[in-house]
Amino acid sequence: MTPSFETVIGLEVHVQLATATKLFCSCPTDYIGSEPNTLVCPVCLGLPGTLPSLNGRSVELGVKTALALGCSISRTSRFHRKNYFYPDLPKAFQISQYDLPVATGGSMPVFVGGEKKFIGITRLHLEEDAGKLVHGTADGRLSGRSFSNVDYNRAGIPLAEIVSEPDMRSPEEAREYVLTLRRLVRYLGVSDGDMESGSLRVDANISQKCSDGRWGGRVEIKNVNSVRAMERALDFEITRQRGIMLSGGTVVQETRHWDDSAGVTRSSRGKEEAHDYRYFPEPDLPPLIVNDALVRAMGESLPELPWVKRERFETEWGLSPEDAAVLSERLDLAEFLESTVASGAGRDIAANWIKTEILRILNETGLDAGDLPFTPRVLGELLGEVVKGSLSNTAARDVLEVMYRKGLGIQDAMKETGVVPGGVTGDLLAKAVRRVLDANREETGLVLSGADPSGKKRKYLQGLVMREIRGQAPVGDVSAVIDEALRQMRGLDE
Amino acid sequence: MKHEQMDASSIASAVTSGEVSAVEVVSASLRRIRSLEPRLNALITVIEEYALERAAHVDGQVSSGCDPGPLAGVPVVVKDNMCTRGVRTTCGSRILDDWEPPYDAAVVELFERAGAVIVGKSNMDEFAMGSSTEHSCFGPASNPRDISRVPGGSSGGSAASVAAGYVPIALGSDTGGSIRQPAAFCGVHGLKPTYGMVSRWGLVAFASSLDQIGPFGRSVGDIALAMDVISPQDFRDSTCSRRERPSFRDGASNPAVKGMRIGIVREFLDGPLDPSLKRSIEEAASVLVSSGCTMVEVSLNESASFGLPCYYIIAPAEASSNLARFDGVRYGFREEAPDLVSQFTRTRSYGFGEEVKRRILTGTFVLSSGYYDAYYLTALKARKMICQEFDRAFRSVDVILMPAVPSLPFRKGELLDDPISMYMSDVFTLPVNLAGLPGMTVFTGLEPSGLPTSVQLVAPRWQDRRLVECASVIEERFGCPPIAEGGAL
Repeated sequence: MTPSFETVIGLEVHVQLATATKLFCSCPTDYIGSEPNTLVCPVCLGLPGTLPSLNGRSVELGVKTALALGCSISRTSRFHRKNYFYPDLPKAFQISQYDLPVATGGSMPVFVGGEKKFIGITRLHLEEDAGKLVHGTADGRLSGRSFSNVDYNRAGIPLAEIVSEPDMRSPEEAREYVLTLRRLVRYLGVSDGDMESGSLRVDANISQKCSDGRWGGRVEIKNVNSVRAMERALDFEITRQRGIMLSGGTVVQETRHWDDSAGVTRSSRGKEEAHDYRYFPEPDLPPLIVNDALVRAMGESLPELPWVKRERFETEWGLSPEDAAVLSERLDLAEFLESTVASGAGRDIAANWIKTEILRILNETGLDAGDLPFTPRVLGELLGEVVKGSLSNTAARDVLEVMYRKGLGIQDAMKETGVVPGGVTGDLLAKAVRRVLDANREETGLVLSGADPSGKKRKYLQGLVMREIRGQAPVGDVSAVIDEALRQMRGLDE
Repeated sequence: MKHEQMDASSIASAVTSGEVSAVEVVSASLRRIRSLEPRLNALITVIEEYALERAAHVDGQVSSGCDPGPLAGVPVVVKDNMCTRGVRTTCGSRILDDWEPPYDAAVVELFERAGAVIVGKSNMDEFAMGSSTEHSCFGPASNPRDISRVPGGSSGGSAASVAAGYVPIALGSDTGGSIRQPAAFCGVHGLKPTYGMVSRWGLVAFASSLDQIGPFGRSVGDIALAMDVISPQDFRDSTCSRRERPSFRDGASNPAVKGMRIGIVREFLDGPLDPSLKRSIEEAASVLVSSGCTMVEVSLNESASFGLPCYYIIAPAEASSNLARFDGVRYGFREEAPDLVSQFTRTRSYGFGEEVKRRILTGTFVLSSGYYDAYYLTALKARKMICQEFDRAFRSVDVILMPAVPSLPFRKGELLDDPISMYMSDVFTLPVNLAGLPGMTVFTGLEPSGLPTSVQLVAPRWQDRRLVECASVIEERFGCPPIAEGGAL
């Protein structure tokens, strides 16, 4: 019988904390797009004689994240030195936390295939980022490197390293874990969570458990720069590791680097052979004391967590799982929705509009919902008009468009769009129908002569009328007025 | 009185009152340096031009009616492991032999703000590792009391500068005795404050949990004056305490030693100790008793047994990490090589001296996985025991009186091939660093040979003031250290 396998995955996620200054000095952290080595000082360059001073804000953000993950906060933790030589590491050691991290033991729910699963969080600790090596050759090619440049702008940026338990069983669960964590840090405002720019970085540990009782060695995959890359790398490893075990081999415990263009992982044993980091307590920093007041303040600063919101949208509001997921993806969007509903709008219509219209505007403009030129209350009013029937969906959409493009209020936007409050009725509607029929004599003629047995032409004309009046009348009304107009035309002909 | 014979406070008041100009004082200091340096090699860098500019600035302040500060126009020397902006800071090492820091150490800022004028950066054992100032890539320094002998170390150049009358005050750093041992060898006073009393910002680290900056002086008053200047709190050093500092000058001028219980450590007197130094302890004890102190015997058995091995694990461990940054990538000496690893290896192999490499290797070893528990962790436990032992002792005494060194200064080259014997010269000083306590070497006279004797005073943490109080009483009896002729004929 062919043995079966179970995949075991644990993730180490590094999150750059959104502080204004670095972890141990007052250099700015907005290094993206800045000239190399402009955001540096003697401390983050590790010049002789310099000493670290801990940035209190980074502790707050770390504690906030840890509380959201249900971790217990260590009232006393400490920093260690992780020693290794590399040109991007100015002091040749990284100040990190080791045996006493700031937080331990939490969990985070992820939704996979409609099921909720809790992934254990082993620990969260604070550490400093390293600089960046830019490899190059004299002619700028990347291969055949003849020299490397180092940019220390990133050196010393605060990171929270979040280590999960080996609780994930598939690349899909790993993906959901990363997406959930990213959503969380964005909710909390502790990081922009952008994987492409390196604000959120993932190292994946993966091993195989065989039904015959054998365990494969744990492989750490580095250099996965997107969620997609991580999934592909994990898939690749599953196949590779199972292949080895099926042919009776042993999976070696090692670190492997993901080569995204080749789509393979490669052993990096040569490069990191027998790393002994010689951790020892950082003598330049006293123990990190987190007092109750800080824990309380951070606890109170937590928003409703994304997975709680999502479940509430589903169970309490009755939204579909998909809508609940979309609407809880972004805190600004979710809060816009909730405020719109709080101002009196119906949940369903508000949810519908926000997940389509508002989200589209936000995606197009890159704006935050809070930065829109209209408030949730105003959107609520607009939706109220739709519900009353005084504005059609199409008309309301046009009005909304003008509201955000020109920053107008509802009334002005309606004027600007030519939308008629209360809809197109009576004479106005009759005139519109007449205009359409007159402009489309051929189709009208066919309908009148009875050469439209399937009713297609008539439907076409009706659509044109709806467009003419921007949908500002119920379909039934429009249909009746068209019938009336056709009847009159027949009467004239006879 | 010649300027080099004046103490710092007399210079400062003479300069402030306009009696003498800072430029005159500093020029005299530079003349003395020029005449004796060829024999002493106490300084790695003499700062002439900038020193005279600073002195002129001080004179300008005086003539415009500003107070230049308590060290107005006082020439000073700082050890070459304290950063001076734009002035090379070598740590006595080839690996930093042309490094000019872009910033000043906290103590340098404080000294300059107080009106002091830095005339030189003193010679030292490379990265403060050594007890003789022979391990310097700029050549050994000599003891001004006998130039065939070492000045002690690692702050040997600072101690020699004060003993030879270059300057009344110099700064050193003390990780295992590097202020107190050279003070004893050169015959001057030297104080290592409580760990956390003086900011380490800008002090190139050797062993961060042990390093502390302190002054050398030829009078207790000058030691106190310097301490008042360099001891303010500094947020840039997270290990620099926020507690209020004592007034050292007040302690020096109003020593309240009456009723103090002075601890005598039997273990230290019965071990190997030069008879003249044992006699100094006895004489100092009787001076204190006649001033109203009582003598109490205390035991420091664990410190005596474990101090040295404990120190030689913890200090190298921290050093191996602190000195890892000297890789030739960003600053300092670099030995080019075709690939990264050989560049690191060559830079560090040629850039560091033998003693430094010995300690880096030791430190790397004791932190390695598989050895960490047996060495580093055990040493941390021993360190805790030593702390507790001192704490116990200080329940029954206010100050401990003990030797600073086991022997009189040895001859140059005598112990160079015998690192263990060299390490032994710090046996009385390094337990004090391990426990973070303040300790002071107090001059007690010159032997007929011209070599100096001394005692060491040790107080509980943050009771540094007691040291200058007791030292004042001792100084009253033995006198201030005289200026050494420095081999001048």
